Amino acid sequence: MAIVYSSLVYLGYILIFPGFLFCFVAGMLITGIDRKIVAKMQKRVGPPILQPMYDFFKLMGKETIIPAAANKTVFLAAPIVGLAAMVVIQLFIPVISTPILYGTADLIVILYLLLIPALAEIYGGSASGSPYAGVGLSREMVTIIACELPLVLIFLSVAKTVGNAMGTGLCFSLSDIAAYQAANGSLMLKASMIPAAIAMLLVIPGETGNHPFDAAEAETEICEGMLAEYSGAPLGIYKLTHAIKTFTLTALFVALFLGGIGTGIVLLDALIEFAICVVLTIIFISLVHAVTARLKIEQLFKYYWTAVSAIALISLVLAWFGM
Amino acid sequence: MTNLLSYTHFPVYSIMVLFLGAFLVVIAGKSKALRHIFAICAVTASLACLIALIKPVMIDGEVIAYWMGAREPAGGYAIGIALEVDALSLFFGLLIATAVFVSCCYSITYMRFDENVSQYYTLFLMLSGGVIGLVLSGDLFNMFIMVEILTFAAVALTAFRNKAHGALEAAFKYLVVGCIGSTCILAGTIMLYAQARTLNFAQLSAFIPGNFNTSTIIAFALLYIGFSTKAFIVPFHPLAADAHGAAPASISVLISGVLTKSGIYGIIRLTYFLFQSMALGKMQFLLVFIGSVSMFVCVTMALAQHDFKRLLAFHSISQIGYVLTACGLCTALGISAGLYHAMNHTLFKGLLFLAAGAVLQQTGTTDLNKLGGLSKRMPHTTVLFLIGAFSISGIPPFNGFASKWMVYQATYQKAVESGNIGFLFATIIALITSVLTLASFVKVSQSVFFGQLPEEYKDVKEVPFGMRFAMGIFAVLCIVTGLFRELVTHYLTEPAARAVFDVGKYINSMLGDGYASAVMGANAPVRTEVVFDMAGTWQPIHWLLLLCILLLAITLVALLGRYDTVSENKAALAEGKFDIFFGGEESVPSQVGGGDLFWGFKHNWRHYFSFMHDLHSGIVNDYALWAIVALALAMLYMLIVL
Repeated sequence: MAIVYSSLVYLGYILIFPGFLFCFVAGMLITGIDRKIVAKMQKRVGPPILQPMYDFFKLMGKETIIPAAANKTVFLAAPIVGLAAMVVIQLFIPVISTPILYGTADLIVILYLLLIPALAEIYGGSASGSPYAGVGLSREMVTIIACELPLVLIFLSVAKTVGNAMGTGLCFSLSDIAAYQAANGSLMLKASMIPAAIAMLLVIPGETGNHPFDAAEAETEICEGMLAEYSGAPLGIYKLTHAIKTFTLTALFVALFLGGIGTGIVLLDALIEFAICVVLTIIFISLVHAVTARLKIEQLFKYYWTAVSAIALISLVLAWFGM
Repeated sequence: MTNLLSYTHFPVYSIMVLFLGAFLVVIAGKSKALRHIFAICAVTASLACLIALIKPVMIDGEVIAYWMGAREPAGGYAIGIALEVDALSLFFGLLIATAVFVSCCYSITYMRFDENVSQYYTLFLMLSGGVIGLVLSGDLFNMFIMVEILTFAAVALTAFRNKAHGALEAAFKYLVVGCIGSTCILAGTIMLYAQARTLNFAQLSAFIPGNFNTSTIIAFALLYIGFSTKAFIVPFHPLAADAHGAAPASISVLISGVLTKSGIYGIIRLTYFLFQSMALGKMQFLLVFIGSVSMFVCVTMALAQHDFKRLLAFHSISQIGYVLTACGLCTALGISAGLYHAMNHTLFKGLLFLAAGAVLQQTGTTDLNKLGGLSKRMPHTTVLFLIGAFSISGIPPFNGFASKWMVYQATYQKAVESGNIGFLFATIIALITSVLTLASFVKVSQSVFFGQLPEEYKDVKEVPFGMRFAMGIFAVLCIVTGLFRELVTHYLTEPAARAVFDVGKYINSMLGDGYASAVMGANAPVRTEVVFDMAGTWQPIHWLLLLCILLLAITLVALLGRYDTVSENKAALAEGKFDIFFGGEESVPSQVGGGDLFWGFKHNWRHYFSFMHDLHSGIVNDYALWAIVALALAMLYMLIVL
């Protein structure tokens, strides 16, 4: 009986909170808010906030066309794998400072899991056989490489700072990072971590592929790149994955740098987390989106490997000397 | 000792059967079936002998000291030929025997169109016997002999398809630099013999640490460079690319999975046992530095390649860089991580080379700019290739992730413990190299297996079952070693790591209890208790379970939604509904060459790439010069440091 109960709870975690359903709602709402805010900034009316949800359900009911040149299995499996990996990441990110499912989630594992949704999109596009997808996946891969260096530096400096305080020297465990912040206040309040936090905020739009870092999709130029051949339900799942990714990355930021502010009540924390994520999205994704033009891929790469990495490196050096 | 079936005889059997097989293959002459039977029997017997040793050596922690012809040491000097098998030797022996076994299975179908196949098997078995002999050998001179056997067998096999473009050139380069390496090993051996009057590893390990002088240190440098050429680490990496590009795929598996391992084994034996120098920060720095440079230089070189096999060759050295970096840390976690990665490297790299061989056999080319879209024609090869590609890029839950994760932990832990910021750079380089590796394999997948199918490959067929079977063995091992990390570390890498830190036992098992403390006095190596604590935990089973449930749930959702497709009926095909979208234009092949996929990255690094391009001239004189310069630098460095 106990086994049945615990597996039901487990299933509940995966499917409802903080798993699939929670990600779905949060991601869709954030995307909707983002679209509305950008429209307002550009003096348009904009779609209703629930528009991404309508889009998703509509796409689920549409016909799925598989190009004759495509590798059917990879073409159809890729979006599902990407979505699954995206939700798995969410399961391991503590809600502000309360880890839900496992206490052992690890920063390096997160770093690698973040690659999987992008990789799924790359392989899906690759399998479609479209030359637009070929260009798109090339740019997507370069974007991944570009964001990887600052992310690595940020994660290492967090690991070092928390490790210093805990006496172990380094700490890659997300739950330990959460516990440290719950006891000692947010990492954001430490002077040495402020550059890392700023760098992380600059990385988020690149990771999610938002304007001006959307060279990989570039509708006006290469017809959405990797998504050029997608239609119907698989396209809907990709859109959903993108939406969840925005939420996941902002939630990761909250878990890494704003951990100390939770109340300890999980559902309330989830609401606070969501609110912070919305604010972060508005400032660092929507605002940037509304006022910039798309960068070329080599400019994007240069930006992340020089400016953003340098900011993150400051934190790492400060953390290294124990500040 | 009289019982010939006792496991103490197994090490020598595992070497003997391979050499015996080599001669039997010649005797078999023109009979194809007999030839295959001899070859397969030899490699299977060798593998079985080594697997039987897991129980006594890995689990019970025994060190098998074996004197050929029972000529045991007399008068304090070890004159006889010795084999000594500790957990480290056995670990490498098992890797090698596995790779040899799979490669032999693959060869049977892969080499069926070639001429002179009996010579191929003779050389193949000589090479395998040489490498297994090298890792199980208990004295330095026999190690040199085995190095010679394997080098010449490998050179001949590189040029085996000597009608192919570049094969003889590659073999010649390999011969020249390989000979420089072998000569270094011989010279080092002679110098040590002159000093210590013995060639036995155990005796040398007891003698050298108390007797560092100019001669022994120069011998150290010579041996180090000698084994570096076998491992192809920087600055010997260009040879690997040429050799892999020309050799048959089954031989590439041996060169990358077996020969490089013998070099790494030699370096570990040299630094941890013979000279016991790894406690010195400067020696750790040397290995970690060379390892990190190999990692990074070779991965960027790989990004610039447009030939499938050359690209894989550079990745091979890049991954060896991880192994060397981790082994250079001199911590239990580091050694464990390095050995784990060495094992994974053999598995995934073997798989990738075999996939490249399959593509070469079916299409006749490995040029990334010409290939494309093979996934519809060769679906099984594609899946197997993807498993290899995900493993080498370290995507969880495949094996590359488990070991790379340990490498990151180990380097960062070392950085924090020693307070040395250099190790921090090693961590960062390792992480960046990993994502560049991923990029490189995305490039290969896109330009060989996905993307558009060129007209001339419309009728390509899947490779025969024999080749897929051999690739399948590697693929299954890649997944198993990724998922059951704890079994691998418990039964394979941790015993081997313990052996590395237990030099005293190695000496005493060979020369009798108390020998080490009698000769070395207070300097006798003390067994250090090896602790494997890690800063986090990686539990692939949990993750896999989770992923499965999610896949199930989402598939269900997808099935309830319209995740189905309208069947491709003729009318729809005719009106172009299922064609690739071109915005109404005529369909054209992509203008982006497969070899140049990541121009956004390359553009920013153009100065670096053009510098590298000029440096790697392809002229053997230059590479020989590099070898000499590296030798001089190594001597200088070690004379200053030790």
